[in-house]
Amino acid sequence: MALLEIKNIFKNFKDKKVLSGINLNIEKGKISSIFGYSGEGKSTLLSVICGITKQDMGDILLKGENINKLEPYERSIALVMDEPLLFPNMNIFENIAFGLKVKRNQQRMNTISGEKKDIARNVKEIMEILGITGLEKRYPNEISMGQAQRVSLARALATKPEVLLMDEPFSNLDIISKTKVRNLIKSIQSELSITTLLVTHDIEDVMSLSDTMFVINNGKIQESGDPKDILKKPGTIDTVYLLGTENIFEGMIDIIDEEGNTIIIGMHDKNGKFIEADYQSGFEINENVFFVIRPEDIIILREDKPSSKAVRENHFTGRIIRTVFTSRMVDLLIVSKEGTEFKVLLPYHAYEIMNLNEGKTVFLSLKKSAIHIIKRKKAKNQMPQMP
Amino acid sequence: MKKNKIFDIIIFFVAFSFFIVLIALLSGIFFQTSFALIFKELTRSGLWNAIFLSVKISIAVILINMLIGIPVAYILSFKKSKASFFLDLVSTLPLTTSPLVVGFAILITLGPLNPVGKFLVDRGIRFVFTAQGIILVQLIISFPFFVNILKESFDSINRRMIDLAKTLGASSFDILFKIILPVSINGLIAGAAMSWSRSMGEYAATQMVSGVIPNLTETAPIKVFVKTSYGNYPAAIAIASILMIFSLISLSIFKLFYYRSKR
Repeated sequence: MALLEIKNIFKNFKDKKVLSGINLNIEKGKISSIFGYSGEGKSTLLSVICGITKQDMGDILLKGENINKLEPYERSIALVMDEPLLFPNMNIFENIAFGLKVKRNQQRMNTISGEKKDIARNVKEIMEILGITGLEKRYPNEISMGQAQRVSLARALATKPEVLLMDEPFSNLDIISKTKVRNLIKSIQSELSITTLLVTHDIEDVMSLSDTMFVINNGKIQESGDPKDILKKPGTIDTVYLLGTENIFEGMIDIIDEEGNTIIIGMHDKNGKFIEADYQSGFEINENVFFVIRPEDIIILREDKPSSKAVRENHFTGRIIRTVFTSRMVDLLIVSKEGTEFKVLLPYHAYEIMNLNEGKTVFLSLKKSAIHIIKRKKAKNQMPQMP
Repeated sequence: MKKNKIFDIIIFFVAFSFFIVLIALLSGIFFQTSFALIFKELTRSGLWNAIFLSVKISIAVILINMLIGIPVAYILSFKKSKASFFLDLVSTLPLTTSPLVVGFAILITLGPLNPVGKFLVDRGIRFVFTAQGIILVQLIISFPFFVNILKESFDSINRRMIDLAKTLGASSFDILFKIILPVSINGLIAGAAMSWSRSMGEYAATQMVSGVIPNLTETAPIKVFVKTSYGNYPAAIAIASILMIFSLISLSIFKLFYYRSKR
């Protein structure tokens, strides 16, 4: 049985439908994340779970018990938000001890641990885990944002919640603090195994932290599962767009060869190129489909070396139109002779070794095993609008 | 550059002229008679009785203000609704109504000829010509000052912080006493100082229900008026100057804490 069960949650604000039938189960001791665009009701869902906002319909079950009627302070579900929201009238120690001093948690702690641990020791322990020892006497306006966010996390963890909810906890942090806090959460998770539900619009957060991923779209959970699987093999075209997948193509299935592990797709472009992909079930001949390939799975062939077998598939010739340098990778836009645009992601050193530059003509190969075919929605014939 | 200088000169000139005129007008009373006469008046017990009465009454007013004002400000700030809008309207009404009218209304309503007044008087509860009557009118007059300043302070508290506190196990009691009140302590003190000042100096409404009974209902501002009407200027000046010092102190407290609450 899942620790936290969300059943058929509906929530409207005035006329705006925010959540329309959310169902999800959170497993004990795991990090799950909800991924979706900003404004998709992710934060609303969290505040419904912790009881700050009341749902219009639906049930929330914690350990199998319905907690709809419980006030937020009775739920033992702690929340960490995108800003630290420390209490300005208390120093860091008092901030972290806050949850331990309220009557409700003192009663709870007694039943959990049997013996009453003193608050000071509890706070000290949690501060050590989060690496903020030494800040006890400081006030919230005297510490950095990254430290404040860790204090906020410590304050929530100190109450030993059944479920920890995190609402975009990294979005206000600089890149260094972000990495630090992410790693911290990962290690705390393995140490304390607190059941965590993370809400984010950053796929990096999902990939680096979570065991399970829920994709929210139009107020519904559209897909769920292992984040790596969803990233590689998204089930619907909406998820593809949500994940920011580039290289989305249209085509029609030409040949299906289950034994040979091959599907051949005719591309919808002027020259009618054919693409070979690994076999996937559930498709028919002459079916119109989308297919996607991740930018890092497109290979630029070196002219000076013979290509291995793996890259002798799906060849294109194209010109590098644009290069964008990011911190670690080079983002290339390549347009093939046929006019198809490819986004290619290369490590920086590869770009240098191959002596690439804008305007250069290169040979591309789309790895057969990396091509993922997605069904079109039945009613729609057109490409869905980019949101 | 030159234009900005002229601008500064105009601004400072207007502000300072007003400042000087104000100081001159207020301190003018000290030059009416000799200081010796004023000091002689300061030794009379009747004068101090009036001042102590005012202090006692205004302290009672502040305490009641806090008792009622904190829940009212809480509703106005955290439980906004159509009903709270009317509560806001009614509690702020005395701010824009003439204090004389407020005093008059209390005098009539709680007088023995009115059913409400009769009901209370029959049970020995008198508001007319008593100290509790003065406390009541001063409460009504000073209440809006306290509530508005406190509400403003409550309004500036981050609502998400309050929501988050709830998820840490804090009940509404915990939140009020451990977060809301400590965070708005500056607003609380500023509001108290302002309403105390208002209550100390209240004349018109107080006069309506006071009956001017020396040592019982004759507050300091009323004494100033009484002494003036008898032509005893040194006595009036002596009380007025003490009242002025009191309001200077309470105003300083108000300003100090009000600015802090804004930071």
